[in-house]
Amino acid sequence: MSAVQARPLAGDKLIVVPYRKVSAAAMATNLVLILLGCFFLLPMLWMVFASIDSNPDWAIRIPSPTLANFADVLGRADALSSFRSSLILAGTTTVLTTLLALLSAYPLSRMHIPFKRPFMLVILFASGLPVSMLVVPVYQMYVYLGWLDSLYTTALFLAASSLPFAIWLMKNFIDAVPVELEHAAAIDGASTFRILREVVLPLTVPGTAVTAIYTFINAWGAFIIPFVLTYSPDNQPGPVEIYNFMGSHGLFKFGDLAVFSLLFSVPVIVLYLFMSRYFSGAFNFGGAVK
Amino acid sequence: MLSEVRFDGVHKIFGAETAVEDLNLTVNAGEFLVLVGPSGCGKTTTLRMLAGLERPSYGRILIGDKLVNNVSPRFRDVAMVFQSYALYPHMNVYDNLAFGMRARGASKDLVAQRVKETADVLGLGKLLKRRPSELSGGQRQRVALGRALIRQPQVFLMDEPLSNLDAGLRVQMRAELSRLHQRFRVTTVYVTHDQVEAMTMGDRIAVMNNGRLQQVDAPETLYDNPANVFVAGFIGSPRMNFVPGRLASSDGRTSVAFLGITTPLGTGSRLTAGASDGEVTVGIRPEDLMWRPAAGPDCTLTLSADVDVVEPMGHEAYVTALCAGETVTSRFPPRSGVRPQERVDLALNPARLHLFDAQSGITILQRPPAAGAETLRSVGEARTNDSAGGRSERHGQPEARRVPSRTEEIS
Amino acid sequence: MAVVGTLGPRLDRERFQWSSLLMLAPGLVLLVVLFLGPVLYAFYIGFTNLALVGSRSRDYSFTGLENVARMLGDYVFIKSSWLTILFVVGSAIVGQSVLGMLLAILLRNAVVPIRIVVGSIVIVAWVLPEITVALIWYAFSQAGGTLSILLGHGGTNFLVLVPMLIVSVANLWRNVAFSMLVFSAGLRNLPSEVLEAAEVEGASAWRRYRSVILPLLRPTIVTNLLLVTILNLSEFTLIYAMTQGGPGIETTTLPIYVYQEAFVFHQLGYGTAISLVLVLIGAFFSLLFVRASRRQV
Repeated sequence: MSAVQARPLAGDKLIVVPYRKVSAAAMATNLVLILLGCFFLLPMLWMVFASIDSNPDWAIRIPSPTLANFADVLGRADALSSFRSSLILAGTTTVLTTLLALLSAYPLSRMHIPFKRPFMLVILFASGLPVSMLVVPVYQMYVYLGWLDSLYTTALFLAASSLPFAIWLMKNFIDAVPVELEHAAAIDGASTFRILREVVLPLTVPGTAVTAIYTFINAWGAFIIPFVLTYSPDNQPGPVEIYNFMGSHGLFKFGDLAVFSLLFSVPVIVLYLFMSRYFSGAFNFGGAVK
Repeated sequence: MLSEVRFDGVHKIFGAETAVEDLNLTVNAGEFLVLVGPSGCGKTTTLRMLAGLERPSYGRILIGDKLVNNVSPRFRDVAMVFQSYALYPHMNVYDNLAFGMRARGASKDLVAQRVKETADVLGLGKLLKRRPSELSGGQRQRVALGRALIRQPQVFLMDEPLSNLDAGLRVQMRAELSRLHQRFRVTTVYVTHDQVEAMTMGDRIAVMNNGRLQQVDAPETLYDNPANVFVAGFIGSPRMNFVPGRLASSDGRTSVAFLGITTPLGTGSRLTAGASDGEVTVGIRPEDLMWRPAAGPDCTLTLSADVDVVEPMGHEAYVTALCAGETVTSRFPPRSGVRPQERVDLALNPARLHLFDAQSGITILQRPPAAGAETLRSVGEARTNDSAGGRSERHGQPEARRVPSRTEEIS
Repeated sequence: MAVVGTLGPRLDRERFQWSSLLMLAPGLVLLVVLFLGPVLYAFYIGFTNLALVGSRSRDYSFTGLENVARMLGDYVFIKSSWLTILFVVGSAIVGQSVLGMLLAILLRNAVVPIRIVVGSIVIVAWVLPEITVALIWYAFSQAGGTLSILLGHGGTNFLVLVPMLIVSVANLWRNVAFSMLVFSAGLRNLPSEVLEAAEVEGASAWRRYRSVILPLLRPTIVTNLLLVTILNLSEFTLIYAMTQGGPGIETTTLPIYVYQEAFVFHQLGYGTAISLVLVLIGAFFSLLFVRASRRQV
């Protein structure tokens, strides 16, 4: 191309042609995305519409609006108690897992520990073990210990099963805090405890939040563990309760079921939105398997 | 308060790599010592050992009279400026400065007072409420410096503190660091790979290569009498020319043949005991290899060369030329009019030659010390005469030799 | 360096700090008692005839390879293994990864409002509790449900007609966000100079993806495949809540078979033995992928 373009018309043509091409491709891209978006939206929409429909069906339809379903569910003792159970279960699991993950991840990230690498590999491997494998032995242990049907002992196992991944996640977050900051603080005369409290902890707040929320979302939705380890109606968390209602056709109205699962989904969606700002970093696995 | 630092047979080994090998070095109390060398030479490891971030594999490190091998950084009473600054990103400037004093249990009033003083010295007064992310590179650098200054430590450690600044700011901070050192006179160990920083700032310079200390001397001495080929090549820009030569003695007079000419050694230069006739490496600094028309009367040697490349620098020009089959670089006046392919005459003062053993690279010629005074000015600034032995007089002599200028107004 | 041998003992040997053990201890105790313990215990139970109720619940014994022999002759187990592989390969390895990659690429090039809206919907599907997903897909695929109406077969219950396909699609629907996020992060981390260089050289979009971006994303792809396989192998809640493994045994994947053998048919020993097979399959896939990631970068 010569530097001097004498005729603006020629210049216009040069710009216009590729622009049209790009816009055609962009149209296709956006169109495909809208279709895919509908595929993801439609099933969800049923839940939302049915929850405010006075006479819902399995199919999506324009609701004849009512709040009766909400009133129904909020008036049911079993529904409310399952919320309470889920809160205790997920809350206890989250506090335990996050605290222990934080405590374990710091030395694994920063201190000299013999066999650290094999240990981290075992941790990574453990986080991939199927829970189905652990259900039977844990059930046997809980029978033996007399720990069945308690939300707190169930939370203890949920914490144990989510700990490996939480440690791994947390270690990556602590690894990302420049070690030079700790060196600077040490040279500044700070004790190990002060370094932890004033330098490391404040800088790992986002990582800790991500770990905690991730653990909470998983524990909130946990099904098979509480399904096997608890049995009294008062101790059934949300997922087990919804499962029971799904099985009892006719006893539970569509609308109520939709309201229940909608209400049960709201907390995790809110939590996810809260942490999504920090979350993208958690997906930078890159070549993590090496 | 002034403390001496001593490395006594210190080694540091990482796996199969020897990062530092048998380091024996004393940093005098109140001295500004620059550790310089190419990357991977062991200078940063040396500094980190002194800070307590690495422990030596063998040997002893002393600060003052205290053996510190096993003393944690916390109790060494040293302050360090990191290359990355390592400012606490979640604290504002005030808290960054105050952190060390608080960690040592200073009273609130004392902390406030010292932060104010330090901020005033560095011109950080208006920035105390800001976080590091809201500061410019130069301002961060000052905070890092302030964090070290405020503590009034026994020893300052600086790990390439200027390498992340742009060229203009670097020159300015260089002068400022020198000025601060003159003011507080704290023993300072400064690591850099930049020989200009080393020459302009150091009371003495320690040159390292491949984990070994090559030479420790005042900048002038290092420049005039480099101990070996490595130091000669590392200090000085453009790099010293090295060409093969032959040493021959007859009738008690020694002469050296190189680049097709033969000359007796200059008066005042003495060969060391190890020197013998045969192959040598001849070193010629580009500023000693002059354009004939611009050369003085003591440049008695003339070499004819074919110009290959001319690099005008504004105040001078570097000319690369082919001379008797060797490529040599020479410094020309700015508007010599010389062009590539042209044949030129180069002039050389025989007293300015450097001679090194061809095998070991160790110098075999002791040159007169005074001769360097003029060329030094072109590297940095003029210095009073300084030799390795003359350092004790330094403390009592507040120097005017550096030009402290604080022109920067921080914004 | 030769001198070093004569200098005596090294002074910089790493010292183990007891404080690190103190910090590790609580987590370690929990992991050993409630994770490592059960894992080892599972390896034992898997070779016994332990039952949930009856005499075998107390008086069980080590039966060696009896459970393995039983599996080889167990029609349900073989069918279940096949269904598991179908589920993992179809729903996870192919479906989730391909759609996840497609979404990641499309979203990168989409206009901002569509990117935000569609991206959020896909992620919400992933964040929803599994039981909710089971419910809405149950509703979606029922006779008279949205799917049957859209396809014009109002009276067909697709969860009975093609149960494996429906649970696979439901699973894909829920999990695709994970792969999408992994690939988006991978795409973001690609060196932009390389892409620009390819563009300057005049490579078409398709060519850029095939010969530049995909090879560069290889480590990310391998990691995604590994994680997705491991996560989906043990998928239980979604399938169980939608079908309980039915109709018949048409959706009885191994995790569901484990649960049924152990807690419905009370065969704890045999059920655990089947879960060990699941672990073996997982280990096999992991090795495969780790090897693939090492071959080249």
